[in-house]
Amino acid sequence: MPVRIKTNGHSKMNVTQDLSFLHLIENASVLVQLVMGLLLLVSLLSWWYIFLKMFAVRQAVKQSEEFEEAFWENPDIGKLYQAVNAKHDKAGSMERIFAAGITEFVKLKKKPGIDSRALMDGTRRAMRAVFQREMDNLESHLSFLATVGSVSPYVGLFGTVWGIMNAFRGLSNVGQATLAHVAPGIAEALVATAMGLFAAIPAVVAYNRYAHDITRLSSRFESFMEEFSNVLQRQP
Amino acid sequence: MNASAYSEPYKLPAGMLALAIHGAFFALIYFGINWRAEPPQGMVVDIWDSLPQAEVVPAKVAPPPVEQADPPKPVEPPKATEPPKSAEPEKPVAPPKADIELAEKKKPKIKPAEIRKPAETKKLAQKKFEAEQAARAEQAAREERAAREEQAAQAERERERARAEQAAAIGKVVDEHKARIIAKIRRNIVMPPDVPDNARAEFEVTLLPGGSVLSAKLVKPSGRDAYDSAVERAIFKAQPLPLPPEVALFNKFREMRLVFKPIE
Repeated sequence: MPVRIKTNGHSKMNVTQDLSFLHLIENASVLVQLVMGLLLLVSLLSWWYIFLKMFAVRQAVKQSEEFEEAFWENPDIGKLYQAVNAKHDKAGSMERIFAAGITEFVKLKKKPGIDSRALMDGTRRAMRAVFQREMDNLESHLSFLATVGSVSPYVGLFGTVWGIMNAFRGLSNVGQATLAHVAPGIAEALVATAMGLFAAIPAVVAYNRYAHDITRLSSRFESFMEEFSNVLQRQP
Repeated sequence: MNASAYSEPYKLPAGMLALAIHGAFFALIYFGINWRAEPPQGMVVDIWDSLPQAEVVPAKVAPPPVEQADPPKPVEPPKATEPPKSAEPEKPVAPPKADIELAEKKKPKIKPAEIRKPAETKKLAQKKFEAEQAARAEQAAREERAAREEQAAQAERERERARAEQAAAIGKVVDEHKARIIAKIRRNIVMPPDVPDNARAEFEVTLLPGGSVLSAKLVKPSGRDAYDSAVERAIFKAQPLPLPPEVALFNKFREMRLVFKPIE
């Protein structure tokens, strides 16, 4: 007499077999879902800033190169100044430093009885002020990337720990603990860590890259300021 | 040209790119990875209380070789006995002739001899031929028998394997439920203080269908009476013990030896 036995271990337990991505997010507890939502937002923002900075830094480098080339090729500062003024908002950082310097220089020069030392100090101060502002603009949002890079793994980890805690708490009601009881909960929880890392890794890479690029730009601006001061000092 | 007027260039394209990256990543995760964890298909195992087919089949397979191997032997002996019969009747026929012709007593004697000689050669040839035939038939039969035996052995081996698989499936279910039973009892143990970790109590538990405990006999005491009695109380407290739904498997649980240790 044949006796049919179904040796399907899962048939009796209410374990979801569908471990699809959406399912994992849906089944997670509210706090974990909140963490995931936060991380998604942060990730979106950080990628937005990454691209913003990428374009901005690339543009700044290109403009500086073009302006430096034009500056050293063209001995007529007056013409260069007019060209920079004509650009208005499209002028690059180095052009703005140049414009501020020459404006201050011309203004001070008109004052009667000013000595050359005071003239050069005033010009340099004006250029430095613009330089600081430009650097500030270039560095904007970089701190956000740094924060995302360092904090979002912890946020994700928090979500994961919370999710795993819940998964194990549920285990206490079950007499025979099997992996099938815990696995979905842990998988859900781990999604939070994955998202945290997904947000953090590009942010850290981008931060390092842009910080380096901006440092190089700043040293370039500073050397230009020194050189331009020399050029102005030579002016009659 | 002041700070407040500063705005990052390419705000919109950057936003679009960020969205595109997330969209691409999500698509990769959603479509690129097969998330559906296929559960192992539920095995359906036939468990047989007795194996009627397995015992009938070899009986059917085995007899034919015997029947086919035997016939040549019974058929041959008659052939071998016939010629002597035909030769013997000549002997009685010859003596009467000799009695009638008294003078030629010797001749008739020789004649039978002469007659016998060709008969003997014929007999020998026939015997030789028959022996050859018999040998050939025997060899054929032997080969056939060997082939049959091999087939039967193979069938037997397959049957054995199937039986082993069935036994493994049963064993799995039995082990699972034994583990459950032990777990349920363990949960009911009220641990007395100061039980050493290596205490080991062995009980012989007799169950009734339905999972109630008929008797629990201490087979090997742990040496700690408090622990032994705690386990015994727990066995009765844990009633009904979890049994597999298949009634046919109850025989495996009727009498069990369960070992309890404070720490697993």
